[in-house]
Parts: sequence; C-alpha cells; structure tokens
Amino acid sequence: MPSENYVFDIERNDGKGSIRHDRFQVPKKKISTVLEGLTYISENLDGTLAFRHSCRMEICGSCSMSINGKPRMACSTIADSLNSEVIRVSPLPHYEVIKDLVVDIDPFFEKYKSVKPYIIRKDEEEHNKELLQTPEQFKLYEQYSMCIKCGLCLAACPISGSDENYIGPAALAAALRYNLDSRDQGSNVRLDITGGENGTALCHYAGECSEVCPKDVDPSKAIQILRRSGIAHELKQFFRREKDARR
Amino acid sequence: MAEQYLKTESDILIIGAGGAGMRAALAASDAGLRVTVVSKSLLGKAHTVMAEGGMAAALGNVDPQDNWQVHFGDIVEEGVYIGNWRMAEILAKEAPQRVHELERYGAVFDRTPDGRILQRAFGGHSYRRLCHVGDRTGLEIIRTLQDQIIHRENVTIFDEMYITNLLKKDGRVIGAVGMKMDKGEFHLFRAKAVVLATGGCGRVFKITSNSWESTGDGLGLAYRAGATLQDMEMIQFHPTGMVYPPGVRGLLVTEGVRGEGGILYNKDKERYMLKYSPQKKELDARDVVARANYAEIQAGRGTEHGGVYLDISYKGAEFVKQKLPSMYMQFMEFAGVDITKEMMEVAPTVHYQMGGVRVVPDTGATTVDGLFAAGEIACGLHGANRLGGNSMSDILVFGKKVGEGASEFVKNVELLDVDESVVNQEIERVLSLLKPEGTNAYDLIDELTTTMSDNVGIVRDAEHLQIALETILKLKEKYPAVGAPGGRKYNHGLLAALELGNMLVATEAIVRSAIMRPESRGAHTRRDFPKKNKEWLKNITIVKENDGMKFETIQVPEVPEELKQYVKPEVY
Repeated sequence: MPSENYVFDIERNDGKGSIRHDRFQVPKKKISTVLEGLTYISENLDGTLAFRHSCRMEICGSCSMSINGKPRMACSTIADSLNSEVIRVSPLPHYEVIKDLVVDIDPFFEKYKSVKPYIIRKDEEEHNKELLQTPEQFKLYEQYSMCIKCGLCLAACPISGSDENYIGPAALAAALRYNLDSRDQGSNVRLDITGGENGTALCHYAGECSEVCPKDVDPSKAIQILRRSGIAHELKQFFRREKDARR
Repeated sequence: MAEQYLKTESDILIIGAGGAGMRAALAASDAGLRVTVVSKSLLGKAHTVMAEGGMAAALGNVDPQDNWQVHFGDIVEEGVYIGNWRMAEILAKEAPQRVHELERYGAVFDRTPDGRILQRAFGGHSYRRLCHVGDRTGLEIIRTLQDQIIHRENVTIFDEMYITNLLKKDGRVIGAVGMKMDKGEFHLFRAKAVVLATGGCGRVFKITSNSWESTGDGLGLAYRAGATLQDMEMIQFHPTGMVYPPGVRGLLVTEGVRGEGGILYNKDKERYMLKYSPQKKELDARDVVARANYAEIQAGRGTEHGGVYLDISYKGAEFVKQKLPSMYMQFMEFAGVDITKEMMEVAPTVHYQMGGVRVVPDTGATTVDGLFAAGEIACGLHGANRLGGNSMSDILVFGKKVGEGASEFVKNVELLDVDESVVNQEIERVLSLLKPEGTNAYDLIDELTTTMSDNVGIVRDAEHLQIALETILKLKEKYPAVGAPGGRKYNHGLLAALELGNMLVATEAIVRSAIMRPESRGAHTRRDFPKKNKEWLKNITIVKENDGMKFETIQVPEVPEELKQYVKPEVY
C-alpha cells in the first residue's frame, strides 16, 4: 500500500561548508506542488528551513532548486508527477550556497547585465513617441523575451559549471532578444561582448539549458543564432579594419 | 554589547522594488540624486511581476474615440465617487507617456497589424484601453524597469533586505533599520527622504492572488511612523481566481480572459451576468462581477469545487494560446485542465487594497515630513473600486511623481544624525523574536488569515466583522509571545514574526473601518446596509494615538467644475 506521506529529503547547508540531509514527512493530501511541501515544512515542522519563493505561479522565477536531481521550479513541479515517494531537494548546482536551498544568484544577474539588456538607440532623448513594430517583427524575438530569470539554465549548463566566466545561456538569449528587436540599434555593441572569449564560442550545444527552461526560451538555439551573426559581425569588423589599414 | 550594523547614506531611500519603487528610483536618479532601493525579495521578483492583463492608458490606438477625459471619468465613476479626482486626472493624462517611455526602455507589447501598441477591453473601461503583452504584462514591466535601474550608477540596490522600522527625529522620517536576510546583518539607512513602495496586504487573507510578499509591511511602517491611513475597508476581490487544486486556490485568472470574450456560467450553464449586468455583462467593474460570482456560488449554483465556470474554449485553440498563453499553461500545469477545450472553474479572490497611506496627489508626500508613498501602498486614486489595468499605470505614473516629489523635498533638507541607541533598540527588538520556545508565528498567521477570509469577505455584516475584530485583538495580545528558533540568516520564521506585526495593523485597520461604514459602496458590501448612503460620500482615515487607532471621516474633495463634465453625476 502506498504511504500517506511524501518523504522530503532536503540537503541542508549552513553556507560554511557543513552539509547534512534532513528528512521530513509531508502528508500527500496537504500538498500538490513541491513548493507547497516546502512551505508545509517551514510552517509546521522546521521554520529555519531556508528557500526562496514568491509568486507560486512560475512567473517570478524565485524558487529554483534541484529536485530529484534536475533543476526545476518548485512551484510548478507537481509532487505526484515525480513518481517517487522520496523527493530529494538540494540547492541549484553551479551557484554558491548561502543557506540550505538559497544560493547566491548575483553572478547570474551580473552576467545578464553585461550584455546590455535594454534598447540602445541613437535618438535616445526622444521619449514621447511610439515606436512601430509589426506583429511579425515581434514574433521574431518573442520567444527570447519570455525569460523569467530563474537561473535554471545556468545550473544545467555544463560549461557554466566548469568556467565561471562564461556568460551563460540566459544572458546570451537576452542579447539575441535585443539584437532581433527592430527598435534596437545596439547589435554591434552586444556582438562584441557575446563574440568575446567568454561568449558563444564556449558553448558545446549540449542543449541542457533549453531542456530545463520552464518558459521554452530555448537559449541553446539563441546561442547558435547569435554565434552565426557573431561570425558575420567579426568578418565585417575584420574587413573594416583592413580597409582602414589600407587607407 | 551593542550589535554591529552597516551604514548606508543616500538622498532618497526607496522601500520596495516593484514597479512603483523602481520607477521612483529612475526619477530620483534622473534628478542626479544618490538613491538606495531596498527590496524584500530578489530584485525583479516583486509582486508586480504577477500582473497579467495589461496597463490602462488612453492611447486610442484601437478605439480612436478614447482619450484621457473618458479614462478620468471611468476612474471616478467606478471608484464610486470617493476617490481623489486629482489623482485620477494625473493618471489619465500621464499614463500614455509612461507607456511610450516603457517602450523606449525596451518593453515589448502586442501590436496592431500596422505596428502600433495593441489595446484590449477590460471591465469598467469605456474603450479598449489595456496595453499588454499576452497575459504577462507585469513580468515585462518589471523586467524593463529592472534592466534600466541596474545600470544607473547613482542607484544602489539591496535586495532581500527587510525594513523593520522607520526612524524619526523632530517629526521627520530620517531613515530606516533593515535586516539583510541572506546575510543576517543589520543595516542603518540614513536618508533625507524615504519613499514607501511596499505594495499591498493581500496576504492577510487566506485566499488571495497576491504573492508571498504582500503582507502589508508598508502599512505597519507608515502607521507606526504616524502617517495617516485611509479607505482601509476597501479591499478588492478579483472575480476570477483559481479554485482547484487546493494549492493554487486564489491564483489569478486574468480579467484578460473576459476581455478576450470569456463568458461566465453557473452549473446550470446559465450565463448569469445577463441578469446581474445586462449592459456590461462579464465586463462590468470588478466589484459587480465578483459579487455576482459570489451570489451564484452562495445560491448553490456553483461548480464541484465551489466556483463558477469561465469559458474561453469556444474561441478556438489557436486564439486562446496566442492571446492567453500563460493562462493556458497555468491551467494545464496546475489543474490538468485544457482551457482550449474545457471550461475553467473560478471564484473570487482577494486581489488589491484600494486604501493605504494618504498622500498629496502631485508629490506622493504623506502626512509625515520626509515620508512619501506610491503604488498599492498609497491610497486615493481608486476610491472604492479599482479598474483592472489601472494598477500598472498607477505604479508607473505615481512612481515617477513620487520620485520627483521626494527629489524636490530633499533639496531643502539636510541628512540628520541618527541616535545610535535608537538603532540598537530596534535591533534588540528584532533579535528578541529569536527564541526557540516562542509561539509559532505561522499558527497565529493561519488563524488571522482564516478569520479574515471567513468574516471579512465580499459581503460583510456587523456580526461577522465583530468576530474578526475579536480574533485580531486576541492575536494582538498573543503577539508578544511570538518567537522563532534558529539564527539570523535567512530565517523564514523570524521574518514571519516580523510580518505578523504589520499584518495585525493592516487587519485591525480593515475591520474597524469596515465596521464604521454603514453602507454598501464599491468593494465594501454590507448585508445589513445594502444601499449606498449619500451621507457616506466620505473617506475614513486612521492615525496612531497612544491608546490605539484613531478614526475620523473626511469629505471627499469635490471634482472641480471644468472636470465635472467628464463624470456622470452620482445616482442614489
């Protein structure tokens, strides 16, 4: 007979290197998502359990963690769908742990920031006019604008795991999102960054990032497109330099 | 020995990093000031992110007849005439500029075939007015503002920083004490002006669409600092929240569903809105539709899980997936319901606080020197009922206003010294909550939120309000015994204990104001006073006195002659 409880096996970390595993019994009928399981534990069994959460509807991107070995959002992971009575929860890999399931997400944001994720235009001062963009132009990059900055892709990316300087999937997808935006004029600036030594060249196209993305952003595809436009950009730069040199 | 704490000085301290806080930061940054923004959650995760349907602005892109005058009239009328006309005027006039500005910052919007910003219909708006991107407009707004704010050199951000109290000197707010949760460190923020942009208090109810953060922290901070609260009885129930499974009960089902043609049915497949609102039907104001849904459920015509049906499937799978992609995923993932084929089950859910801190419309100044407020924590704009999509315009329009208002204020004031003993006292108060044998704050929160949902719902009466008040007063007595085990770092139990203090302020204000208003107006419906009463064309205000909350009523400021032509006269 199946048990009435899930067993939450949670990796606890004091942030100073000491790791232990705590097991909590959570009644199946009290929860449907893994996040509910964690709040049940926090409210009833152990208030010191540290984890992030906010919206509970997979839009804020706070409750990223590793669940049964895979990076996922706790709020949108239905416990029953894991087909396991034991639910193993640990902090996201490739990030430093602050406490329990809370990791230092700052490096992720720093990388994101580095690709200049905003519209760059020459007529910057003119703010009171609508810029036109057809639905077709919007469709070109809509997928890449769905990112909720949950950081799962970086946790899944094998390159990010071994090279902390790699800009990583989310930031590269964000760069492409702006480069494809018909209102933007900053592609060249971004291609210099994404085509640099920490950019698209490091990607092995293993596709793990796209597999874990809860919003189907498909960073892996974005990186491929970005690398192609990066090569064209490089060639253009090269010929420009040649031309300048001949002068 | 006194505790160690870190010190930050700035011209303006902004508490809260949702849309209002971030837009205020941009305004103050534009003014060349040193700005500090603190946020309870990670940057970019604030409750704004959950807004779905859109941002109301009379661009007139799809309905050229629309203009600010019509928008203004809609706000005043649907706020049932107790809103602040000046705030409504500012919002209606300036919202289009804020949309264009967002666009320049890089926000995406759904578009008309010729490339202009598309606008959709929403309840209570005379024309199609909501600029949107699918049903994830809040995400786009917060992402856009975040991307702007992070590369401003004069803006410093501390996220996962919980402000425990404001500091005052000579009647002026001069800073705040906070706890950096991820580090377990205390901070003193000194500033010439402090802006509250802390959002609402939906979490004081059991069933709410609000995120984890909306615990009324700003209400507690403002009230303790002596600021005036107003209209606290006005709590908006969104007509459509999810009802099943239990874990997602209350989660928002965007009004965009009805905006795109969604129809409400009871279990007998009767389209009952024809009965409650023959003209506007599903697209009447939120208070009307929420009461209709509630009435159908109460009358035994509800669904299996205690809701009503909302159907958009008749529009076809392609339409639904394109217009409402997040709704499609939300129901698929959480409820296993395919909304392109099946009807949704929905019921009213607590969504928004119309009341909050009283402010000067043009500057966001509160009644306390040096303290400003904008967004859901401020009150006045929405009166007794907020129109969908106006909260997004609110945070951007008044976020900018408050940023400018505070910037102007700090020109003429100096940074004041903070008495160290005051800081130490506050730190001690927080640390005193760390006690392993203390009462579990979550147990008290559970009792509080349950009593609010059971007794202070869509339809209220004296008897149930009294039950709620007694529970709140009992919990207030228990509060000093609350405590959490564990250390300072990322301790949810400690945070809950701190939040509970603010939740008690919020709930007492709501319930006492609701008891005080013997009429039915907008979101405030009294079973024992079913009619609107001309005598109550008033606002209820609250200030802290030594022996507790002091309540007063004030007259609603009258709409000036030149604007009256845009507002239908009130009918009793």
